Amino acid sequence: MAENVQHAIAQKKDEPAGANEWEPKIIGFLCNWCSYAGADLCGVSRYQYPTNVRAVRVMCSTRISPHIVLELFTAGADGILVGGCHLNDCHYITGNFYTEKRLRLMKKLLEDAGIEPQRLRLEWVSASEGEKFSKIVTEFTEQVKKLGPSKVKKDAALKTRASAADGASQTFRLRALVGKELGLEKTGNVYGQKLDQTELEKLIDAATKDEFERSLILELSKQKARSVKELGQIMDVPTDKVLRHIVVLRQKNMIAMEHPDGLTPTYKAIEIGGEQ
Amino acid sequence: MSTEAAHHGSPTASEGEKAFDPKLLVFCCNWCSYAGADLAGVSRLQMPPYFRVIRVMCSARVDPEFVLRAFERGADGVLVAGCHPADCHYIGGNYRTRRRIALLKMLIQQFGFDPERLKLEWVSAGEGEKFQKTIVEFTNTVKELGPSPYRGGV
Amino acid sequence: MAATDKIGAVMVVGGGIAGMQSALDLADSGYKVYLVEKQPSIGGTMAQLDKTFPTNDCAMCIMAPKLVATGRHHNIDLITNAEIAIVDGEAGNFTVTVKQKSLRVDPKKCTGCGSCAQKCPIEALNEYDENTKIRKAIYVRYPQAVPLVYSIDQERCIGCGICAEECKAKAVEYDQKDKVLEVKVGSIILVPGFDEFNARLKTEYGYGVFQNVATSIEFERIMSATGPYMGTILRPSDGDIPEKIAFIQCVGSRDEHCGNEYCSSVCCMYAMKEAVIAKEHTSQVKPSIFFMDMRAFGKEFDEYYIRAEKDYGIRFVRSRVASISEDPKTKNLTLKYVADGEPKEEVFNMVVLSVGLRPPADAEHLSRVMKFRLNDDGFAQTEVFSPVDTSRSGIYVAGAFSAPKDIPMTVAEASGAAAKASTVVSSARGTLVTKKEYPAEKNVEGQEPRIGVFVCHCGVNIGSVVKVNEVMNYAKTLPNVVYSEENLYTCSQDAQERIKQKIEEHKLNRVVVASCTPRTHEPLFQNTIREAGLNPYLFEMANIRDQCSWIHMHEPKAATKKSKDLVRMAVAKSRLLEPLQNLTLKVNPAALVVGGGVAGMTAAIELAKQGFKVHLVEREKQLGGNALKLHYLPSGDDPTAFVKQLEKEIAADKNITVHLGAKIKSIDGYVGNFKTALEGGKEIEHGIVILTIGGQEYKPQGEYLYGKNKDVLTLLEFKDKLHKGEAKGNEYAFIQCVGSREEGHPNCSRVCCTGTMTAAIEIKKKDPNAKVYVLYRDIRTYGFREKYYKEAARLGVTFIRFEDDEKPKVEEKGGKLEVKVKDEDTGKEMHLKPDYLVLAAGTRAQPDAGELAPMCKVPQTKEGFFLEAHMKLRPVDFATEGIFLAGLAHGPKFVDESISQALGAVARAGTILSKTELEAEGIVARIDETLCDGCGICVPTCEYKALDVMADKKDPKKKIVEVNVGLCKGCGACVGSCPAGALTQMGYRDSQIYAMIDAMFEYEKPKQEVKQNEH
Repeated sequence: MAENVQHAIAQKKDEPAGANEWEPKIIGFLCNWCSYAGADLCGVSRYQYPTNVRAVRVMCSTRISPHIVLELFTAGADGILVGGCHLNDCHYITGNFYTEKRLRLMKKLLEDAGIEPQRLRLEWVSASEGEKFSKIVTEFTEQVKKLGPSKVKKDAALKTRASAADGASQTFRLRALVGKELGLEKTGNVYGQKLDQTELEKLIDAATKDEFERSLILELSKQKARSVKELGQIMDVPTDKVLRHIVVLRQKNMIAMEHPDGLTPTYKAIEIGGEQ
Repeated sequence: MSTEAAHHGSPTASEGEKAFDPKLLVFCCNWCSYAGADLAGVSRLQMPPYFRVIRVMCSARVDPEFVLRAFERGADGVLVAGCHPADCHYIGGNYRTRRRIALLKMLIQQFGFDPERLKLEWVSAGEGEKFQKTIVEFTNTVKELGPSPYRGGV
Repeated sequence: MAATDKIGAVMVVGGGIAGMQSALDLADSGYKVYLVEKQPSIGGTMAQLDKTFPTNDCAMCIMAPKLVATGRHHNIDLITNAEIAIVDGEAGNFTVTVKQKSLRVDPKKCTGCGSCAQKCPIEALNEYDENTKIRKAIYVRYPQAVPLVYSIDQERCIGCGICAEECKAKAVEYDQKDKVLEVKVGSIILVPGFDEFNARLKTEYGYGVFQNVATSIEFERIMSATGPYMGTILRPSDGDIPEKIAFIQCVGSRDEHCGNEYCSSVCCMYAMKEAVIAKEHTSQVKPSIFFMDMRAFGKEFDEYYIRAEKDYGIRFVRSRVASISEDPKTKNLTLKYVADGEPKEEVFNMVVLSVGLRPPADAEHLSRVMKFRLNDDGFAQTEVFSPVDTSRSGIYVAGAFSAPKDIPMTVAEASGAAAKASTVVSSARGTLVTKKEYPAEKNVEGQEPRIGVFVCHCGVNIGSVVKVNEVMNYAKTLPNVVYSEENLYTCSQDAQERIKQKIEEHKLNRVVVASCTPRTHEPLFQNTIREAGLNPYLFEMANIRDQCSWIHMHEPKAATKKSKDLVRMAVAKSRLLEPLQNLTLKVNPAALVVGGGVAGMTAAIELAKQGFKVHLVEREKQLGGNALKLHYLPSGDDPTAFVKQLEKEIAADKNITVHLGAKIKSIDGYVGNFKTALEGGKEIEHGIVILTIGGQEYKPQGEYLYGKNKDVLTLLEFKDKLHKGEAKGNEYAFIQCVGSREEGHPNCSRVCCTGTMTAAIEIKKKDPNAKVYVLYRDIRTYGFREKYYKEAARLGVTFIRFEDDEKPKVEEKGGKLEVKVKDEDTGKEMHLKPDYLVLAAGTRAQPDAGELAPMCKVPQTKEGFFLEAHMKLRPVDFATEGIFLAGLAHGPKFVDESISQALGAVARAGTILSKTELEAEGIVARIDETLCDGCGICVPTCEYKALDVMADKKDPKKKIVEVNVGLCKGCGACVGSCPAGALTQMGYRDSQIYAMIDAMFEYEKPKQEVKQNEH
């Protein structure tokens, strides 16, 4: 799926975009039942909106995973708009509640990776809200224009961070936490207690940051063995914290120490990690 | 060289192309080395899959004949692992093992084996990582030496 | 109270090394034991240690067998995650209420596979690793934990439910409630251990603020191969190897400012050990130890000190570090201290604080609910002559809870407390223990092997990597395998029933299980097949988890192939397995105690109280030994009166026969059945031996004019004079370490520093104007004895430190003694003119130790003391079963320590004497008499002296070797040495090992059926 969309981005390049004026590349994921219908209505009603958005229809907004989002930014997207049904209106009953949780994780990951989270936007658009759709697209395009072109594709360091965020999003830990988040708040946990949303978000944010940093360590040490100090400097994370992450990664057999001659050991990622 | 990472390339080699898969026999004493090997497992330390362990109560039980039999049957390498000299469950059994292995190394040389195909290592119950390192290094050593001259039996 | 009211059960509170020792001793002597531990698993502090001094043994290696034995003992009930709430009743009959916190996991169902923890999304710092590593909200404390049951950290768990989803054994029970148990026991042993001093209280050292300042226990984890850095020494701030490491001693010990005046006894040694091990692990490290006095007072500790300095290049700096500051950029640490009279500043990359030992946090709670007294420092109060008794009858204490102490003393005391706890309820011995009954054994002799193979998925642990089904089907193709199946967990309770059922259904006479490690699971399966009437030795295991699926996770094909190989090898051996009988040896319930000093008398009395006959043999005409020469104890207790009291008890006890002025001619036999001949013809038959032959004060060989001037006396000689009021003078000088810590006798004599304080205090008390000088190298008043050092100093005793190579010079001028010594601390030359020069002469082994050692087949140290089976964990045992030791015969020590050891030896002896017969291991060496030519090459290979060259009973001209199965431990070392191939190791026959080797190299072609007894 991500490939199709990347294709869309690639095509966009060939279009003439004014004289020297930069035009943002924006992907809009629209759910089949509400937002896409809303967009249709918008068209039928001849509401005008900028040409930057390429709409991709999905059955439900929950289909959008952090992986897709990060891959698109890596491929050169400047903004991503996700449109879903209004809460409680979802064709798939609770799908968009999960979308909401997942979007929060994505924004957190973008932030950790150094990509402006404002480049990602979630909006509820019903089948009858054609005008709202045009307003949102216009507004979002403006917002992305203000942010300027995304640097992810050109900037190797940012690209590494994006793929680290992608790696983090795929860990069992984050998937499990975000997958369970809604249930823990709404229906309660195995002890029959409903968890406080703020507390749980704090916990998930901390886990996200940890997993992102660990993932980034792995990314950075894939090609070349690096020391804790080197990693700390590149990542802008205190060295003691980097070391603690390395302890965890070694425990999981995902990174290995290269035994040093001097006083500074280096670490290299093991291609096939221990944790499934 | 790295010991932990050294194994990371091998899966493709063993699952894919038909490279030389050495046959390695490892004798472990019950109290230290076997426990160390278990700890490596508990810690999920990955290592090449070419060795098979035979458990004996004490490394001193490893009769030179056992080693010779293994080579005769086509072993590419034999590793004897025991407690560290001072840790032996049976007080001093492993001192004897050390002398015995030194003699055996000379003997197998006479049969045309590289003495490096026989190795003695101390691995304690707490040294899962050392067990891994020992297996990785020994596998590499034997791989470099190539198949045993007796391969396929005599 | 009537004997029938006594309850034959004991509660042990604390599951560290002491608790395990007490529990095992008692459970092996006929008592039911309840072992209560506050953590979810036992093991205590020792489980956290990387290595132990002075042997540098790997702590987990030497401890794991005890862990497993405790966890598996059918007369020990582990009550983990629990606390004592109420204690009612009295000695002999207590009712204890225990609060057990819910684990939220059913211990009966949990197989310890760990899938839950792998998937749990909640991370927490791992307390076991001193927070240097992470664990999950569902966890075990450490991989080798006993019981190996996961538990949910209720503080952390968010209740997401993933662990229950992952657990294939359905062991997770979120609604499991806390429990309150009521347990009836006859006596109680308290072994809750200690807490480390909170280093944050010493703000000048910046612990908790500076990243590279660690405590000694954290450093222990940092060094450990299972710790955060997997054995490489790294510093926490940036992962660099800390080249310069400073160890700072006495952090929270010998320090009035923080409220702990006592010495923590163990820190000098553990710091040296950590320095040595750090260097061994990571050679770039250069450790320095900052200390006040180096207190290496234990057995062979000083030799370790010498090796640390000479062989490992550890730098020792005699100075108390004033403060530490951190460079905020490099995180290096600058130490300020004074040495050689000058203030210095030195930069280090890392600092380790040798934190002292504190009473455990629950000490006050325990003291309140159990109504026993704590001492001023908050430890359990004990007395010199009753070192394992609390102030409440029927409640005993051992280990660091009564005073900071090392592992060997802790273990000896733990056994000692077990002896006392046993005596209280000895009339009820055997009333609450159960013996397992098994069906009659099926005779499989001559039968063709019919092998059943059970292959385990271990949840997903094996099954996700190895194709279990393929392995199971492959097993079916192997010769003699008549049945094979796969199980989700072969170790689960229902699988045991299946195995038994299949043995019946398919007439199996051998069973192979392919699953995890035999080290933890073999006994379980052996027990299962025994319940189905098969001899337990007809069982074999293939380890396809720990040594296959877990270490070849990404190579499923190769791992499956390996599993097949391992199964084929196990089947090959299994084909040749034969039933082995555990031999039984009759036990004569009588003891021989050699040596009638305080240790020997204590041992004799305690054994007699438990109903055993005792022969107490003393070389002198009088009981009492060295205690009679002491006159004073620093505590004010009277050793002479104590000896009198013991003599009275001995005279009144019909179970004790005293042989005075007796010399042993020979000791023959083995555990359970010894025969001893005394000179003069008397013969004694007994089941065990306790050697308490004592030691003696060194007689200086002319050092410091000893023997030339009548006013130069040894410490004991001087104390005698002082006691009799014959020592009159104004000036007294003591010289320490005479005949100790010297060439030929490199070790410390442990007691002389405190002995000197006692004498010095006595002089000052009698005559406050007397001048008293103590010339010393290190003052080693360890533990609470530090207060006598303090008191001596307070009374005005002058301490002058000299170096080994600048010993004091003593001259006689006109009948007057003159002592010249350079004070190392001030650099000043001192001239003393003492009326008495007292030499603190060392403790030496008894010369007759050398005669007894070969009779008992026990070893000696090079200094002539007896050498125990293991310096750390078997302090009162010999490697030769049935022989024990205690007191000065083991090495220099104080009276209370001798008493603890003597009681310890009693408990150890009790594990034998309480049985009518002993079961010897089935795995032993056997000799084929037709092949043996009596060459004796095997004899020295046996560390247990189980082999002897004898005249052949059938042909007296011929010599053969006999295996004494009572002594054989089954290591098999002798087998490989026999040039005639006459020796065999049962269970590990040559043919069985060859079968495995051959099977390894044949590939997947099923062979002809093999008939039994082909080998």
